[in-house]
Amino acid sequence: MSHTTALTTEKKSIWGGGRSPFGIDYGKLMMWIFLLSDAFTFSSLLVSYGFVRHTYPSPAPNEIIKPMQHLEEGFVEQMQHVGYFTTEKWPLPELVFNHFPFIHGMHLPLFFVSLMTFVLIFSSVTMVLAVEAGHRMAKKEVANYMFLTILGGLAFLGCQAWEWTQFITEGATLSHNPFGPMAFAALFFIVTGFHGFHVFSGVVINVVIFFNVLNGTYEKRGHYEMVEKVGLYWHFVDLVWVFVFTFFYLI
Amino acid sequence: MEHNDHHMEHTEAPKDMKSKIWRTFWILTALTVVDIALYFMLLENHSMLKNVLFIALGVIKAYYIIGIFMHMKFEQKWLGNLIIYPMIFVVFLVALMIIESNYTALIR
Repeated sequence: MSHTTALTTEKKSIWGGGRSPFGIDYGKLMMWIFLLSDAFTFSSLLVSYGFVRHTYPSPAPNEIIKPMQHLEEGFVEQMQHVGYFTTEKWPLPELVFNHFPFIHGMHLPLFFVSLMTFVLIFSSVTMVLAVEAGHRMAKKEVANYMFLTILGGLAFLGCQAWEWTQFITEGATLSHNPFGPMAFAALFFIVTGFHGFHVFSGVVINVVIFFNVLNGTYEKRGHYEMVEKVGLYWHFVDLVWVFVFTFFYLI
Repeated sequence: MEHNDHHMEHTEAPKDMKSKIWRTFWILTALTVVDIALYFMLLENHSMLKNVLFIALGVIKAYYIIGIFMHMKFEQKWLGNLIIYPMIFVVFLVALMIIESNYTALIR
């Protein structure tokens, strides 16, 4: 026993070996490194959006339609006609993203993307609650919260599918954009698509972990660290959405 | 050599984690509402300052998501350094691209 005491009282540098300077398991450390590289990927996509946005003049303030007002059938053509949507100027996000499912003919700017943001924040909360329950080894709670997280992820994906459908119906593709410069629609599809793919893979991984929890894999293992790892990924997806939301809808 | 470091090496989460989680949720929700309110209040403003404001709000949200949801606040200092310092390259890229896009705007 005296041998151990001698070892622990010895002043050791954090980098002196024998323990991880980061104080976490290698799996979690590698997840953090992966997220760092993924953060670089998303940063370069968003910086390229900022670059293209900065090279176009800003749009004129909207004096045509107020929130909750009646939205006419040929709104996009009308906007093109009065010169709000031209290839010379970047479009106003509030005039582009102004639809809401099941509510037709009403100008509801940014309402739907705000809802999507809340859905994703809420699924992040249920994920972190699952991690918290995992620390207490409460298998049933972990499973319930994981299930809610999966539902939140699917709801978000559904919202995004609806928004893409709306955007494509109005005539936007990778090479054509009725709202303004071509790069606007192309960047929208590429960046939200890349983020949506992350959400999709997150949901798939969450489903796998959910079934592992139900099968008692982590109970046998003695810890729920796998839930923490997938949780890190899921929060990162939420974090990226914060910036996608800021760049595409606010700036 | 005692093999006593085979147990899980993670920093324990605080006891009141649940209340911290819900507090963070309300902060994030409030910041998002502020974001949307500011968007409509500053519609006619197209200065760089407005962009900086929205990005700053995003960074505050990122601080709460990384700090509380991703447990970074309760981890070792070195893990935070490992993740935060490389982000300097992104700041560098942003600065370069702002300068560069000014020239591109001139030839547009």
